[in-house]
Amino acid sequence: MQQVLMKVENVSKSYQMGEVSVNALQNADFELYEGEFVVILGPSGSGKSTLLNIMGGMDLPTEGRILVKDEEITGYNDRKLTAYRREKVGFVFQFYNLMANLTARENVELATEICKGALNIDDVMAEVGLGDRKDYFPSQMSGGEQQRVAIARAVAKNPLLLLCDEPTGALDFQTGILILELLHKINKTFNKTVVIITHNMAIGDMGDRVIKMRSGKIVEIKVNQNPIPPERIEW
Amino acid sequence: MKKLDIRLLRMIKHSKGQFISVVVIVAVALLIYMLFNVTSINIRSAVDNYYALTNLNDIHIQLVKIPKGALSELLTIEGVKTVQGRVSFDVPLQVENKDERVNIRLISIPPDEEKINILYRLSGKRAKLGIDNAFLLEQFAKARNIGPGDKLSPKINGRVHELSVSGIAASSEFIYLMENEQAIMPVPEKFGVAFVSEEFAQSVSGYGGSYNELLVIVEDESKMDDVIDRLEKKLDKYGVKRMIERKDQLSHNVLIQKMDGVEKMATILPVMFLSVGAIIISIMLSRIVQNDRMAIGVLKALGYSNLSIMSHYTKYVLAIGMIGSFIGITGGLLLAGPFSQLFAVYFNIPLIRIGIYYGFIISALILTSVFCILSGLIGARSVLRIMPADSMRPEAPKSGKRILLERIVFLWRRVAFSWKMVIRNIMRNKRRFAFLVLGLALAYAINTVPLFEAEAFTDIFELQFGQYQKMDYTIEFSRPMNKQVIKDLSHLIDASIMEPELKFPFELKNGWREKTTGVIGLPRSTRLYEFRNSQDVKVTLPEKGFFITEALSKTLQVKKGDRITIKNFVPGKDDIVITVSDVIKQYLGANAYMDIEAMQELLADQQMITGVSMKSQDEVKEKLKDVYNISAVNSVADMKNSFMEYLDTMYVAIVFYLVFGGILGFAIIYNATIIGIAERNMEFASLRVMGFDKKDIFRMVNRENFVMTFIAILVGMPIGLGMINGIINAFSTDIITFPKIIAPSIFINAAAATIFFVVIAQLAARRKIYTMNFIDALKSRIS
Repeated sequence: MQQVLMKVENVSKSYQMGEVSVNALQNADFELYEGEFVVILGPSGSGKSTLLNIMGGMDLPTEGRILVKDEEITGYNDRKLTAYRREKVGFVFQFYNLMANLTARENVELATEICKGALNIDDVMAEVGLGDRKDYFPSQMSGGEQQRVAIARAVAKNPLLLLCDEPTGALDFQTGILILELLHKINKTFNKTVVIITHNMAIGDMGDRVIKMRSGKIVEIKVNQNPIPPERIEW
Repeated sequence: MKKLDIRLLRMIKHSKGQFISVVVIVAVALLIYMLFNVTSINIRSAVDNYYALTNLNDIHIQLVKIPKGALSELLTIEGVKTVQGRVSFDVPLQVENKDERVNIRLISIPPDEEKINILYRLSGKRAKLGIDNAFLLEQFAKARNIGPGDKLSPKINGRVHELSVSGIAASSEFIYLMENEQAIMPVPEKFGVAFVSEEFAQSVSGYGGSYNELLVIVEDESKMDDVIDRLEKKLDKYGVKRMIERKDQLSHNVLIQKMDGVEKMATILPVMFLSVGAIIISIMLSRIVQNDRMAIGVLKALGYSNLSIMSHYTKYVLAIGMIGSFIGITGGLLLAGPFSQLFAVYFNIPLIRIGIYYGFIISALILTSVFCILSGLIGARSVLRIMPADSMRPEAPKSGKRILLERIVFLWRRVAFSWKMVIRNIMRNKRRFAFLVLGLALAYAINTVPLFEAEAFTDIFELQFGQYQKMDYTIEFSRPMNKQVIKDLSHLIDASIMEPELKFPFELKNGWREKTTGVIGLPRSTRLYEFRNSQDVKVTLPEKGFFITEALSKTLQVKKGDRITIKNFVPGKDDIVITVSDVIKQYLGANAYMDIEAMQELLADQQMITGVSMKSQDEVKEKLKDVYNISAVNSVADMKNSFMEYLDTMYVAIVFYLVFGGILGFAIIYNATIIGIAERNMEFASLRVMGFDKKDIFRMVNRENFVMTFIAILVGMPIGLGMINGIINAFSTDIITFPKIIAPSIFINAAAATIFFVVIAQLAARRKIYTMNFIDALKSRIS
């Protein structure tokens, strides 16, 4: 039996936009297991980013709760949420969001120098294939390389959970596949739980499980008996 | 080094223009603070040391005559520690150029060592004074290039004596050398002091065995008033003319006023600079934070706390503060030495110990920290509001709103499109615009001050000697004369107008307030004096009662209609109580005026006059040079010349101030422009894509800045006016009253100076627009 890493219990989120209240997320309820590769699929506006942000401790739900290893994070104050993000979660964003005036290595160090038990940076950099481009600035790198730096930044702090928000969204097909391969490898070699959100149906095939969302609701949770390796994905 | 700190350093490097411009403001503020304060302290302590070393008198008494023997009696007065008598009188000095009128004050020093006002001998230390030699005061010796061994030829009671200069000396009594209260500034080549033996002074002046001045040291300065009262009673029979406490002593008084002025500036200017600096910093920082929205979101997602992100940005400001204060404090301390020496030389203070005053360093650091941290926190506070999740999404466009002007449809329709954009942009961030305007208005106001001063000094002279006093010459007699001498003089000199004058110093009292001042008696029909009251209405001298100047009315706290007491020192004459008939304007010196006949009757003797003033094109000086009983012939033209020379030094100060104001104006406009460009990168890029060229965009930014400058100048006018009024009140003294004449040219010239610096700042910022890569700007997604 797989160990439960995170329990998402009945989580809803609504925003007040002027006079209307928008329900971005309604009654999301599922569990994440250690070491699994989950793909959250849905069109834009389906609430998947909202869900990811709440799971990552970047936002708080209006209702429901989230337990990480039996500890409720939705009751955390700002300080504890910060510590949660610092120690437990690694983020990868669609637009990489690197610090422009720090080199690749420094961007990774930016994350590792504030957390305990970080991995060896050079190992991680080599693992993501940037061993020889560590001292380049983001502006000197391609999009794929920048995303590798972002992944290295997320992985190096040795988090429990890697949350990736459309990691291939800004990349061409070839590079996108390479990034997915990298995430897949990290999932397998470091045994990290990886959650990818995407609107790209094809990516769903590589997940151990696929959570489908529409209009703020989870419409289906599908277990892939035989996930295909990323290099065989096409779109 | 922490990665965030590395990021900070690169951020600074990237925006070095802005960074440096604010550092300069902080540095200038602290430089002024340190320089002015330390110099002032150095000078004050040097002066105090000098006074202590030379045992400067606490009280200086001028009287008609007191026998030497009476001095021991004074020592018995409670509170009197030491008394020293001397003979002092002003006589003309014969110099090579026969047209030049030079006066010298001969002051006797005791045969044995002087106990009070000990001379600070610079040369001829061992020389003894006899009947044919003298020590000469340093300033005068320098100005006239007289050295030991040279001869002086004072003309005493019609006879020329020859004194050889045995040494040069400085005196703590004459640090600031002025002939009398009416002098506007020191003219060391026209008035000097020579110290002679008592024997010589008494024999040539008719004061054999007696003195006309006393120097007193008191036991306890806090009981000064009691001692003065007791001395007054005791000395009454010797005809006390004036009792001058140290605080009223001419040289000391001017010195203290100058130091007070320096200290006021040492506070006002740095606070203004730091305020403007704080405005720029907080705007700059809030812009940086805005720009870094996404980076802040990432940092938060990575687990950085609000506090560490805030301190990341506050460190930016701290870096400004630290570098600025290091440069400012070091520069201030380094310059304070030479600056103090310069002052010391200017004031002829022979000793100067340059101190480092750690207290000022600490208060300077506290001052900077408070300004920087406050502005930093204000600027960076929006970090708190940024939610990591939101910050990943591009910021929603600012809600465009219609502005008030647009409601006035028919006006708005007439505004050109490019101006509409300018106006809307200004209205987009009203608070920031208001702050920038305020900063620029301060910079403008700083410019008005020196321009006012330059204008005022010229006005003072022209009003005083053009309108209020129309004479060409004033002649002072060496002793009071009968008014018949006017007839003799009019035979000698061809003068269109010649009027008698009776002038004595009297002590005026209103309650506990008192002031010794020259009371001048004039014919009521005087054509050489014009009196104007506070409302600028021409008034004529009353038969009874008298006029006092504005400065005097302030000192004595009296107004028109009040009655004050004139203490009379003339033996056999009583004190009188008299009504202030009006308060009149006078910019140089503080006097009281009354009808000469009334004055003769009440305060002096019938027919008595002490001088003459006249309007004449004649060779007055030449003709009077050998005339008996004339102690001084003052020419207004001479005064004007030396005043103009003095004004030249003023211009240095004016340039100084203009540069200060300029630095502020430059920093504000430069930063505002750079910030504006960064903020609207995307907007400008879109405009470029649509076909606007660099010049169009630069012109648009220009227009915004000029609208800002224009409004700032309007706002700055009342601020400048307030500062000028502050200067008028703070710096008006008994000697100079600043006229409240504020010419429009001041404001126009200040505006020109401000605009000049704005243009320079614009040109400096132009590069940023010209080198902007609009393609990158359009797709810029990395923070």
